Amino acid sequence: MSTETSFIPPVEIEVCSVSKWFGANQVLKQVSTTVRRGEAVVVIGPSGSGKTTLLRCINALEEYQEGEISLAGNAIGYTIEANGRRRRQPEREIAAMRAQVGMVFQNFNLFPHMSVLRNVSLGPIRIRHKDREAAEDIGRQLLDRVGLGQKVDALPGQLSGGQQQRVAIARALAMEPKAMLFDEVTSALDPELVGEVLDVMRQLVQDGMTMMIVTHEMAFARAFAERVVFMADGEVVEQGSPEEIFEAPKAARLQAFLKRFQQGYRL
Amino acid sequence: MDSLIPSLPYLGRGVLMTLYLSAASTALATFVGLVLAMIQLFAWRPVRWAAEILLYLLRGVPLLVLLFAMYYALPYSGFRIEPSTGGIMVIGVYFGAFMAEVFRAAALAVPRGQWEAGRAIGMRTPRIIVDVVLMQALRIAAPPYINTSIMVVKGTSLVAIIGLADVTFIGRQIVERTLAPFEVFGAVALVYLLICYGLSTLGRYAETKANYVH
Repeated sequence: MSTETSFIPPVEIEVCSVSKWFGANQVLKQVSTTVRRGEAVVVIGPSGSGKTTLLRCINALEEYQEGEISLAGNAIGYTIEANGRRRRQPEREIAAMRAQVGMVFQNFNLFPHMSVLRNVSLGPIRIRHKDREAAEDIGRQLLDRVGLGQKVDALPGQLSGGQQQRVAIARALAMEPKAMLFDEVTSALDPELVGEVLDVMRQLVQDGMTMMIVTHEMAFARAFAERVVFMADGEVVEQGSPEEIFEAPKAARLQAFLKRFQQGYRL
Repeated sequence: MDSLIPSLPYLGRGVLMTLYLSAASTALATFVGLVLAMIQLFAWRPVRWAAEILLYLLRGVPLLVLLFAMYYALPYSGFRIEPSTGGIMVIGVYFGAFMAEVFRAAALAVPRGQWEAGRAIGMRTPRIIVDVVLMQALRIAAPPYINTSIMVVKGTSLVAIIGLADVTFIGRQIVERTLAPFEVFGAVALVYLLICYGLSTLGRYAETKANYVH
């Protein structure tokens, strides 16, 4: 193996010509993109552009009609049979793939009837079949890491939105995922709580976690993304480095989008 | 009033019968309700349709008619069934149809995000139901469940018409002997009131126990 190629990290998430329709309405149009190991890819674009749908397709939470998605080389969601027919994978297979991807939702979706520690340790116990003590040790470490070491016994409802979202990140990390998906994780937060969540995410970027982040936080995208994907009307319009996207946008739709954002801040 | 004292042990037996019918019918209704709710939520489509037809029938026919059907019509088709067993079956299945809606609505009231959060960490449907949805659904179901249980208890009074010696039946017999309807039916009403009050209190207690901050 030559030394040059060994520096290119392998592809962790590969999205290949994915199309999706809700009835007659096409919400994803031949979307293709990749996330390499250790890379943080940020997806931006106006609401309704299909960013969230794309993310949900990657985790097989949505069905789609065309294209393929693979995780570390293994198809997730659908298997293409020898005769070319697409077959939705059985739940068992999909679940095994999902266990390798962490997902954090806009509305946290913590389990409200369980303690914070239980939320985080449930996956390792149920899916990884770790014993309770080991799982809780991992849980405590991760909660420490997101700055919530003192909240292990709290119920989610007793925490602020920012704290809940950090618990949700810890819950995803507890599965030792190969990649993490972030679906507008700061959109439901009060403005003063956004920072604490972004801090945790920045830490993850610096630790080399493979991440795909759908967000409206342009400053974050600019500072910490390795690559930015701009989507509009269900298609990938432009992708490139943060400099390329933010300093020298080529597509008219991207220029218009960025302009609206700047105007928005000024108001 | 004095003439009523000797009747008390007799009435007591009626109370026991009512308690027995109530407990057994509620248990059966709970079981039937859970099964029907699960079928409606998860079963293969034709099975779901069958369950739905059954639910419409049960909900659309009065309990008394169902009891008569069991008591008078069933023997003609060759089945001979013990009235108490038959009564419990009819009441249990009848209210099971209402319980089914209680459980189904509760399961549907658990936000979709909870399912997705479970799926996202790699859990499969049965696991999500047990670990995530059930506890939340039970908490949502508790008030209407208690409500339906109270209806079951009061519904058992209809078995008096098919000759089962519950507290209503015995109350009527005592009235025929003593000609004191006000006192006797007052006592009978009090029995139902106490059972239902007990259930409400139990429900309230369970609710506070199962409470978590939202």
